[in-house]
Amino acid sequence: MDIQFGIETEIGISREKTEGLDVVAESIALVRSATAPGVRMRWDYSCEDPHCDARGFRVKELLQDTDEANYFAQDAQRTLTFHEIKSDLVLRNGARFYNDHAHPEYCTPECTTLLEILQQDYAGDALLMACAKTLGQKSDNPVLLYKNNTDFRGHSYGCHENYLMPRTVTWDVLSQAIMAFFVSRQIVCGAGKYGWEEEDKFLKPGFQVSQRSDFFSELQSVDTMQRRPIVNTRDEPHANNEKYRRFHVIIGDTNLSLYSNFLKIGTTTLVLQALLNGAPLERVPIVADPLQSLRSISRDSSWQWLCRLANGQKTTAVDIQRTYLQVVREFCPSLTPEWKAVADGWEKVLNDLERDPLSTADRLDWSAKYKLIESFRQSEELEEGDPWLRSLDLAYHLLDRQQGLFYGLMDQGTFKLPYSYLEITGHALCPPSTTRAAVRGRCVEKFGSAVQATQWDYILLHGTHKKIELDLRNLFDPNLVRQSLKIIGNAKCVEDLAQLKFAKIV
Amino acid sequence: MPDRIQKPQPVTPAPGGGGDAPRAPQVDKPNTDELLKRMRKVDPDQAKRYRQRTGQ
Repeated sequence: MDIQFGIETEIGISREKTEGLDVVAESIALVRSATAPGVRMRWDYSCEDPHCDARGFRVKELLQDTDEANYFAQDAQRTLTFHEIKSDLVLRNGARFYNDHAHPEYCTPECTTLLEILQQDYAGDALLMACAKTLGQKSDNPVLLYKNNTDFRGHSYGCHENYLMPRTVTWDVLSQAIMAFFVSRQIVCGAGKYGWEEEDKFLKPGFQVSQRSDFFSELQSVDTMQRRPIVNTRDEPHANNEKYRRFHVIIGDTNLSLYSNFLKIGTTTLVLQALLNGAPLERVPIVADPLQSLRSISRDSSWQWLCRLANGQKTTAVDIQRTYLQVVREFCPSLTPEWKAVADGWEKVLNDLERDPLSTADRLDWSAKYKLIESFRQSEELEEGDPWLRSLDLAYHLLDRQQGLFYGLMDQGTFKLPYSYLEITGHALCPPSTTRAAVRGRCVEKFGSAVQATQWDYILLHGTHKKIELDLRNLFDPNLVRQSLKIIGNAKCVEDLAQLKFAKIV
Repeated sequence: MPDRIQKPQPVTPAPGGGGDAPRAPQVDKPNTDELLKRMRKVDPDQAKRYRQRTGQ
């Protein structure tokens, strides 16, 4: 694969007793309760620019800028500095953990294999649970963390995917070619939700396959908090921007099922690789009305997921996904066993979704959640609109091994796993060894107190005599990463890092 | 970016940790009663009280 990937997950935070709850204060306190080794409050915000648009221009402002300014003014009353409010923690696995707006956010390090991304995401869950425990022990009001995307009141928070890839496919082709894939992939990697939101919340109760599909109202834009787009145009590669783009995907649901996560990242990577390998736009489906189809697929209680194409033909979300799978098989003919397992698993899920959607409840979040809660609803003789169903929905996402319903299903052995459980969970907070995350993580671990500033693509360290800047913008050769790890391992002081090929003395 | 040339191995863990060690699923002893108990313990009004600020 020519692609590296990572996930950023915003977490819902609450307490058992919610009277007077300030979610921003809770989020800050949770992040600051982390005891995992790392470097705190050294994140360099000065070189971030979310206003650059992949369509070739820079927007003057984001729709959220006004809200952000208001929140910033409110937060200024907290007697904490900007950096204290953010409380960025860069961990020894190369991950980032911080307070983003009002949510604890865990960003995995850059990965090149699906096992790595599952390991890193799982390490984040363990970190969050440890923080909840630490913070909860300070009062008699337990902290509740939810790995989901909605509060059922119109407030959504994201699980973004990042795909760092060569900038060889034009934005025009990429954005058009991926649209139908994003509209339809929710049947594979949706997390499921009871009820509709926004202006449709009064229409009727019902179950949707996706948590997030209610929240998208644009085809393309650079925004992420208001009028969210199916295809986000943010152009901020955190790498050499002449060679690479970071495809920033904001439309996915947060997955708890490891198999759902495996397919979400795996199938998206395969489709992007097929485009890099020359799959032409003419080979992928073009949906007539992507925004309408996005919602109708999510809300279709018949699970037929009908959809109209731009050429007037009727099709289904399953067949759209199958077309992408065919393109992948044709344009990625020599897949390694790991990636072939993704393609085969994808095909099996699509066949099962067509034959008997609930037969996927051993792999997919939405069908597992529905099967569990629907059987409970029937046994308890609850109405379809009973508010208890939403509470059970929320409990599915609770990051608590003793109380969360997802973990209850895991304990029963309900879910198939793409790798053994021990492989996925046995490497907490170790970085993937072949990406620049390993360099970041090793520097944090070994020279943490010397780290003066850091970002995804650089680290500035302050030695006794010199400042060393590590430029990670072009560090994508696994051999160079390995060589660099040896140098870092042997370094006795910060100044020794000057031997690294991408180091400069500043 | 060059293709990967071999399966990566995780960097050896250092002392210290990130929290609770995850438990392996108890696949040998499925207990649906336990799960039902969990579900009945969920406060029916929990979602009504759940309020967040918009994120990204």
